[in-house]
Amino acid sequence: MLKSVIRNPGSRSIARVSGINTFKSTSVQPFAYYSTTGNPSPLEQGKDNNGNEMQFNTKGAPIVRGKNSTTTEYKLPKWKEALGEYVIKTFGLDMDKIRAGPVSGSYYYSICKEQGLQYENESLSDSAKFFYEELKLPRTFSQWFQITALHEWMLFVRMRAMPFKYGRNYQQKLVDKTFNDIEMRLFDEMKIVSGRIVDQYSKDFNSQLKGAVFAYDVGFYTDDTTLATAVWRNLFGGRKNIDYTHLEAVVKYIRSQLYVMSRMSDREFALGKFKFVPATEKINKLTVAEEKEMKEKIIKKYEELDKSGLLLPSDRSNLSYDN
Amino acid sequence: MSSYQTVRAGAKQVVKLLEKFPEEPFKYLVSFKTTQLERFSRIAGLPISQKDSSELSNKASIDTIKDVVNRTSGPLGLQKDMLKKMQAAIPHDQFSETSMKEQVNALSNLVGNKYKTYYDVGDKLYKPAGNPEYYQRIIDDIQGKKKENILDGLRTVFMGR
Repeated sequence: MLKSVIRNPGSRSIARVSGINTFKSTSVQPFAYYSTTGNPSPLEQGKDNNGNEMQFNTKGAPIVRGKNSTTTEYKLPKWKEALGEYVIKTFGLDMDKIRAGPVSGSYYYSICKEQGLQYENESLSDSAKFFYEELKLPRTFSQWFQITALHEWMLFVRMRAMPFKYGRNYQQKLVDKTFNDIEMRLFDEMKIVSGRIVDQYSKDFNSQLKGAVFAYDVGFYTDDTTLATAVWRNLFGGRKNIDYTHLEAVVKYIRSQLYVMSRMSDREFALGKFKFVPATEKINKLTVAEEKEMKEKIIKKYEELDKSGLLLPSDRSNLSYDN
Repeated sequence: MSSYQTVRAGAKQVVKLLEKFPEEPFKYLVSFKTTQLERFSRIAGLPISQKDSSELSNKASIDTIKDVVNRTSGPLGLQKDMLKKMQAAIPHDQFSETSMKEQVNALSNLVGNKYKTYYDVGDKLYKPAGNPEYYQRIIDDIQGKKKENILDGLRTVFMGR
């Protein structure tokens, strides 16, 4: 019954997390989905509702951590690793708290950042194509910030559902990293020499982030129309001749990403197993049976891991895996 | 029906749908409902409501904006060629029968709350474990149902929730 979706290697983390493919592709589609090359563009999806198998272009897929990653990774010498584990064990350090930096500040920020990342005279990545080509957003720095803020907000929504102490820490780390990075990019990439101007921009971005988070929160909780107006004001900069299909596409994108996050347990999310599903993929809801099956598999997996005693002290976590 | 009439009928439908949009609780620089109603009322040939036009007159006229643009070499600190690029990226209003149909479809999906109901995230995210009252407090405050006193505010500032 579960037909697996042809996914690009970049999305593997989600499939791995859930044990089964979280998303299935069916022939009867309540919503049409997107496909990339040679097929109608994402925004034309509403026109015909015959679902074909998806085709993905793996070229230019975002870099992912893990064994398939092509980037060279720095490895600690074994004795340092052992010393670290020893310290964590003897002092009983709270790894969930420590993990906020590398997972939220580093990994989650990187996936937010790469969504809208673009450089002049360079070809766009697949996710950036959705924003700049399909949605026809201007290719500017502040637009990049708005796209990043949107993705960060989606992560915030999930982080609020973690235990307060940890969720708050994750949020804090994400915001800290964002502004550090913005400051650096303003100096290095935008070639601003004056520190005062960079400060001004940072403050401006700060208030933009606050406003965007507030507006999206209200929209998320109330209804699609409110969310759409929030998107229009923030992401689309309140442009007058907005194409409503664009608004609809973004609202759908947001809701579907949040749906994926809501099906994830705290443990998985805190370990950094989430990845944004590309806008070119259509997310179908899980049936009740599938959801049950997925949860059972996850609970079994983590129960075994916790009991096995094979986990290193630095890999341990007290967050729940059954919600 | 000629294509012109179909587009016009479509625009009327859009206006009807736009009127279902909730009133915005704050006064923003631009209001989605007002600007979009004006835009589609024009295409539909409907009169623009009094309220909208009075608001419009308070805004800067085209001449003032032109004047500002001409006086500065690059408004908002942007280069001329950058402005041109941004202009080129923004789509223009020209509706065909099919594109108007798409607008109506998209808008009715939004008004019908299609995505919120389909991608239902449940109480896990609507009443998040770390801060169950988070959204309700915001909504109550916006709607003026329950104004928070200074102590509650201070607690949020110091405790984070």
